[in-house]
Amino acid sequence: MAKIEEQKAMETGKKLNGIIDCDVHPHPKSYQVIQSYMSEPWKSRFNAQTGLRGMYDNPIHVNRLDSVTPDGGYPCSDPEFTRKQLLDEYGINYAILLPRAFVSRYSNPDFAAAIAAAFNDWLAADWLDNNNDDGRYKGSITVAPQNPQAAAREIERWAGHPHFVQVMMDSGSTAPYGQQQFHPIYEACEKHGLPIAFHPGTEGVGINQSHVAGYPTTYMEWHTCLPLSAQAHLVSFITEGVFEKFPRLKLVMVEGGSAWLPSLLWRLDSEWKPLREEVPWVKKRPSEYIKEHVRLTSQPIESPDDPKHLLMNFEMMDAKNILMFSTDYPHWDFDSPTRSFPKMPEDLKRRIFFENAKELYNLE
Amino acid sequence: MQKYVVATADEIPPGQRKIIKIAGKSIGIFNINGEFFAIRNRCPHGGAPLCEGVLSGFVQSPVPGEYTYTRKGEIIRCPWHQWEFDVKTGQSWVDPVKTRVRSYEAKIEQGCSLVNPAEIELEKGPFAAETFSVSLDKDYVVLEI
Repeated sequence: MAKIEEQKAMETGKKLNGIIDCDVHPHPKSYQVIQSYMSEPWKSRFNAQTGLRGMYDNPIHVNRLDSVTPDGGYPCSDPEFTRKQLLDEYGINYAILLPRAFVSRYSNPDFAAAIAAAFNDWLAADWLDNNNDDGRYKGSITVAPQNPQAAAREIERWAGHPHFVQVMMDSGSTAPYGQQQFHPIYEACEKHGLPIAFHPGTEGVGINQSHVAGYPTTYMEWHTCLPLSAQAHLVSFITEGVFEKFPRLKLVMVEGGSAWLPSLLWRLDSEWKPLREEVPWVKKRPSEYIKEHVRLTSQPIESPDDPKHLLMNFEMMDAKNILMFSTDYPHWDFDSPTRSFPKMPEDLKRRIFFENAKELYNLE
Repeated sequence: MQKYVVATADEIPPGQRKIIKIAGKSIGIFNINGEFFAIRNRCPHGGAPLCEGVLSGFVQSPVPGEYTYTRKGEIIRCPWHQWEFDVKTGQSWVDPVKTRVRSYEAKIEQGCSLVNPAEIELEKGPFAAETFSVSLDKDYVVLEI
């Protein structure tokens, strides 16, 4: 009996179900691992205390409890266990990895850049260049927005790497990301064909502005409002003309929700008609830029009482071309590939779960 | 209803749990202050192993800014999405009408009562053999599913 089960597990492990998971969070085994890639003076300044976000932590637990590794290690710190618990369990073809270094919160841009670089070295060594024979792990280059020129240099350092497929910044920031000061980052992204991804987590933390007026009281309030951060950066990208300046640039809004998109598209187009003169570089209807340049990841997918309302919203936002499936493994609000979506037409499912990300990241 | 002997009583002290597999189902047996309760180890929301979650109390409030904390150790929280379920009834606190996890009866039977098949019809469970080999004055947790 045990043998049959083992055989079955092996077969399941090999089966790929046409899924690309666009938001997976690998974690270093320890802070020392990150330190080992740093040089002084940063090395001895980076420790468990500086590494923790320390604000807006989930009051229960931030990770799935069953994602602790077999040897008791931090969730998603072991590429083999993640392969087993996530990739093989669901037949996921590729996982797009976004480590959470939370670098945008530091006041010192050099310190932030040093931590980002160390996370990139660690990700390449432990998840991309090694433990990745099947090539299913694809990485994000972490950059710190505090010094955009330094961020562009970090992108240059990794450009051409076979498994880094995008650049990632925290969406917690000191200013809307469409502003010109950040353009050196997008210039480097466009030059190397790497999408830029924004991921929440440092809103109102460290030097960053909050995404609401003042500071939210609770984790729930802070977490519920994270889509506001995504929307504000997206509007900024449109009004500042980023996609006109960098016509081949792609933007990925990760974990910022998606159900808000239809109303934002409508509002942007309405505002543009009378106010176009204020932003003359915006030459097309804003919704056209978004459909061409922007992709949203799905987790946490909204779950209305009536699942048909979600499908109606998919139609209004053109989810077939804009939405990319994600689980957020190993975090607590994980979306299961088999349980989180209502029944959908096969072609829509295929686009959301596979094709949109495959095209964006040039995967097989 | 079948009865299964699933543990010795002292194997699950108050505040502890044991997850067993029986009749194709994974079930968590909980000891809350000496009383035993059993619920399905599968969250009705996302399918996670519910019984592996954190056991907590129930936080309530009569008015914003005031908190009460009661029923410590009687609420199980899903290890994924942290939904709360009453271990005693399987009832969800976020969606009590539509969401509940299957609960089962679990109680203590004395070993000497288990050796008489005429009294209780026992199916073979993981501890069935022990009812005969271990001292008869021991108490056993019997699950009805």
